[in-house]
Amino acid sequence: MAAIAQHRVTHSTAFRVRKLRNQILFWFVISLFIIFACFPVYWMFVTTFKEVNDLYNLQNNPLLFHLPPTFEQVQYLFERTNFATWVENTAEVGGAVVLITVLICVPAAYALARVRFPGSGSLGIGIFLTYLVPPTLLFLPLSQLVAGFGLNNSKWSLALVYPTFTIPFCTWLLMGFFKNVPREITEAARVDGCSRLGAMFRVVLPLSVPGILTICIFAFTLAMQEYVYALTFVSSSDEKMITLGVVTDLIRGDVFFWGSLMAGALIVSIPVAIVYNLFMDTFVRGITGGALK
Amino acid sequence: MAELAQRRSVGLSNPGAWIGHVLDGEKLFGYVLVAPAIIYIILLVGYPFAIALWFTVSNATTAKPIAEFTGLTNLLAVWDDDIFRRALANTFIFTLTSQALQMILGTGLAFLLLKQFRGRRLVRGLLMIPFTIPIAIGAMAWTWMLNPTYSVINWIGVHAGLFTQGPNWLGEEYPAMISIILVNVWRNLPFSAVVLTAGISAVPQEILEAANLDGANWWVRWRKVIVPIIAPILYIALLFSLVFTFTDMTVVWLMTRGNPVGETHVIASYAFQTGIVAGSLGRGATMSLFLFPVLLVGALLLLRNLKARTID
Repeated sequence: MAAIAQHRVTHSTAFRVRKLRNQILFWFVISLFIIFACFPVYWMFVTTFKEVNDLYNLQNNPLLFHLPPTFEQVQYLFERTNFATWVENTAEVGGAVVLITVLICVPAAYALARVRFPGSGSLGIGIFLTYLVPPTLLFLPLSQLVAGFGLNNSKWSLALVYPTFTIPFCTWLLMGFFKNVPREITEAARVDGCSRLGAMFRVVLPLSVPGILTICIFAFTLAMQEYVYALTFVSSSDEKMITLGVVTDLIRGDVFFWGSLMAGALIVSIPVAIVYNLFMDTFVRGITGGALK
Repeated sequence: MAELAQRRSVGLSNPGAWIGHVLDGEKLFGYVLVAPAIIYIILLVGYPFAIALWFTVSNATTAKPIAEFTGLTNLLAVWDDDIFRRALANTFIFTLTSQALQMILGTGLAFLLLKQFRGRRLVRGLLMIPFTIPIAIGAMAWTWMLNPTYSVINWIGVHAGLFTQGPNWLGEEYPAMISIILVNVWRNLPFSAVVLTAGISAVPQEILEAANLDGANWWVRWRKVIVPIIAPILYIALLFSLVFTFTDMTVVWLMTRGNPVGETHVIASYAFQTGIVAGSLGRGATMSLFLFPVLLVGALLLLRNLKARTID
């Protein structure tokens, strides 16, 4: 009897040890992944708030602060660069992209999701496939097209071009939202004498406000972080949007203003990272055309 | 019924209702609503694509966009260009290597994230960060981390005793290639992990338990049970991830500009260098067009998958 009890105790101790060992291993591996993912952000943070004398002193441990943190680099970004203009441009162009995207996507997605007409399936797939056409295939001809519109080196060229990727993405995302509104509701509205257009505006759209807001957020953030078209079409500093401004204007000749550059990087990253973290599943659903439920 | 007709005719007195009435045919209504999207795509994707095709057989430059027909001159010149050939090879090397690493690490990460543990949401949020910050910003942060003089990675490596000096990451051929692959993996790993997590958690628990009872080990469970079930999702995610990495120029352009001596260019970055920086639209467009066959295959595979899904 005592022997059995003894045996049980050792058994449960061995079990606990094994469990603990698994736990430690688990957190060790997870930590490696977290360090890999987050170290660059930590590094941006450290670089942003370091004194220049500390940052470029090779004798110091670069991971830590040796002089008290400073706002000098952030200040430089705000006062000695066009940062405020870039923020303004981002708001204006981003706003225009959102507007164009909503005006074009809402009706298109509604038709593809809720209206039966010949060819709707193929048109939907056609729109989705344009998402596969990358900027790097179109930037040369588009640069000529943009010049033809007299928008060369103007931020508005970006408002014209960015819907090429926001439209396919947002249309497919919205189709998902529209499909979730029960058909019976529109049918009831139709029986009550509502026209098709009326049913769309008075019944389905009000129920899809969350979906429409979601695509607004995506259209804005996709526009805000775009780089290739921005680099191709815009060269004057005061026409740049925030991402391009930060990664190009803080390099003067061979001199990189790393502190201010990372300050800008951090300011751009934080809002986008928060939004995308909140909407990660929706975003992935948008990218994969609803393959992921 | 009569009442309904009457209501509609009353509606005619105001213009909004009149438009609604005219659009009431289901076909017409559908076409009118899709038209803006289709017109936009034709004008800003279809038409430019046609111009790109014209560029490839002409000697257009940014200074002289009205050009003459030059036949296959561009294609032959591009094909003879050693840097371009290298870029072509690099595009495949970078894409395939980073994709393979992403899938392997992503699978491991997915299984870790499927466990229930304290702080799971926080951990997940932290792990998503690379995918959520703009790619240009991420590339810049890595460029700084791999700086020839102030590289923090080299500092850690030296102090951990891994090497005595550390490579000039972005200035030497192989370290630069490794850096580019590394940044691609860093950036896209969260995407792979999310897709795989969603896929695996959609596998019915009973099936796994049944396989377990039948004595299947984890490899057999993975290969014969999980993969076949999540294949459709995996397929789409893989396709998009491949296409985006394949056509991206941001990482290369910001980190190395294709240097040292053109050894790290990819098709897209070299096309930018040639077409925009050097202004040779014809040559640049010809290079970009090399992306197209891969995109076409991608599109066809996607199409097949979409059709299969609508039939289900």
